[in-house]
Amino acid sequence: MNAWLQVFSLDFAVAALALVVLALDAFLRIPGRVLGWLTAGVLASVLVASFFVDTSGVVPHGVYESGAWVVFFKRLFLVAGLLGVMGSIDWLEERTPRRQAEYYALMLFSLTGMMLVPGARDWVLLLVAFELMGIPLYVLAAWAKTDGPATEPKLGPEAGLKLFVTGVASSAFTLFGLALVIGETGSTALSALPVQLTPLHTTGMLMVIGGLGFKLGAVPFHMWVPDTYQGAPTPFVAFLSVAPKAGGLAAFSVVMLSGWAQHVAVWGPALAVIAGASMVVGNVFALPQTDARRLLGFSGVAQIGAVLLAIAANTQEGLAMALFFISTYVFTNLGAFLVVHAAAQSSGGHEVSMLAGLSRRSPWLGAALLVFLLSLAGIPFVVGFWAKLFVFLAAWRAGLSGLVILAVVVAVLGLFYYLSVARSTFMAEGTSSEPIRAGLGVRLSIVVCLLAVVGLGLWPRPLVDEATRAASAFMQKH
Amino acid sequence: MTLMNCILLASALMAIGVYGLATRKQAVAMLLSVELMANSANILFASFAHFRGGPTGQVFVLFALAITVAEVAVGLALVMLLYRRHGDTALDLASEARQ
Repeated sequence: MNAWLQVFSLDFAVAALALVVLALDAFLRIPGRVLGWLTAGVLASVLVASFFVDTSGVVPHGVYESGAWVVFFKRLFLVAGLLGVMGSIDWLEERTPRRQAEYYALMLFSLTGMMLVPGARDWVLLLVAFELMGIPLYVLAAWAKTDGPATEPKLGPEAGLKLFVTGVASSAFTLFGLALVIGETGSTALSALPVQLTPLHTTGMLMVIGGLGFKLGAVPFHMWVPDTYQGAPTPFVAFLSVAPKAGGLAAFSVVMLSGWAQHVAVWGPALAVIAGASMVVGNVFALPQTDARRLLGFSGVAQIGAVLLAIAANTQEGLAMALFFISTYVFTNLGAFLVVHAAAQSSGGHEVSMLAGLSRRSPWLGAALLVFLLSLAGIPFVVGFWAKLFVFLAAWRAGLSGLVILAVVVAVLGLFYYLSVARSTFMAEGTSSEPIRAGLGVRLSIVVCLLAVVGLGLWPRPLVDEATRAASAFMQKH
Repeated sequence: MTLMNCILLASALMAIGVYGLATRKQAVAMLLSVELMANSANILFASFAHFRGGPTGQVFVLFALAITVAEVAVGLALVMLLYRRHGDTALDLASEARQ
């Protein structure tokens, strides 16, 4: 087989699916629901195929390298895409029945961009892949446009524009920083950095770090997070809150650890500050939130702080644990958002108070939400506990003890708001007692997330091993 | 004309863009400010290419322009949507404490 085709086979499959979905809609008028299940089915098959097809290799000129590291991320993106698509099917059918194919196509294009990020070893490819991931998200965030029930505030355009303005401003920052870095080195290879840094280099590096921090929703590029989460379609937010963050993490680690590893003295402290600020701001601002989506948004800012903490450790263990953390976060946060979505579909609002009595209306949804919240809070025997523990251990061993102590202290704050949501779910009397009807796709997604969170909580070993293998494959090459 | 002058010009443009983004409340003006920021980076690429030689910077500018154009196309559509929804293009970026 052609070497290029082999290395990019998974990405090409996803991109081709996007075009097929568009064509089926335009020429054959296939119903949107069918297209949704088709998308989910093909994504699942691509995911399965990733275990059987060997996609490792380097393309000519070394702009793209595939191996265990890349495959780990691709599987993660495929899982997130699959769960996100399944979670959206019923919502799309109900709210925007006349434009469904475009939604799936945009999601698949974004997914293609994500899948290209972790293997990129050249700034041009990395930047284009990163934007291919980002631009469809701006459109998707504003998807609900102005339709929907009259009672619901229509925040779609606002949500999209906030994501857009912050996103474009941060990519301008990245570009400016890159111009300095590339101008000084004269090469677009990620690994091209001299041993001696000039002031222009240093400025450029710091600007690139800031720009990339946006997709992660890290402080100070987090202001879009709560408003976008509130205004965008909730099933899409479930996807937005996890997959682009994993993409951002991939970009971060590729830049920091492959190209700039020897200059950790410059970016290490900057990253540590961003990580600490994200954890503090996320947890503190989450406390007063009454909208479940905003609360989860700020909690996401805090969780990303923990991931950056692991990256700032600049060790193989730190990287492996960042991978483990983000993988568990995908299941936990996606699941939590989908439960909130399912509950809101029946009760008509996303406020935390609307979750009252959820456990009586639908015991299994209540139980699922409780598991996700406990995992986000880091309570033992669900996977979030191991994720936090391993990240903190890795950072501690790398000498970031001060930050770890800060992280533990603010994690206690997290308990308050996670458990207050849980209390409202289980203890409070709800206004309605009719059972909640969730669509098949949403239920399936939640079950998968639930199984992953509980299963990995009891037995995290396989995923830890896989993450360690991916991280060591990445670190050995660089 | 030296490289340092070009860097200063680009930095000034970037600063004006950031200032505009921070102070303007109209989505169209914010879009323009963001454009200024993106173009300051392009000036920087082009000037490095001019003074240091080599095609890298110029090629990168083409990619950067293509990306920016795609972004702005989406951005204008979003502004249109906001206008249709509110009859106004005011956008408050700093409403994070809102509940």
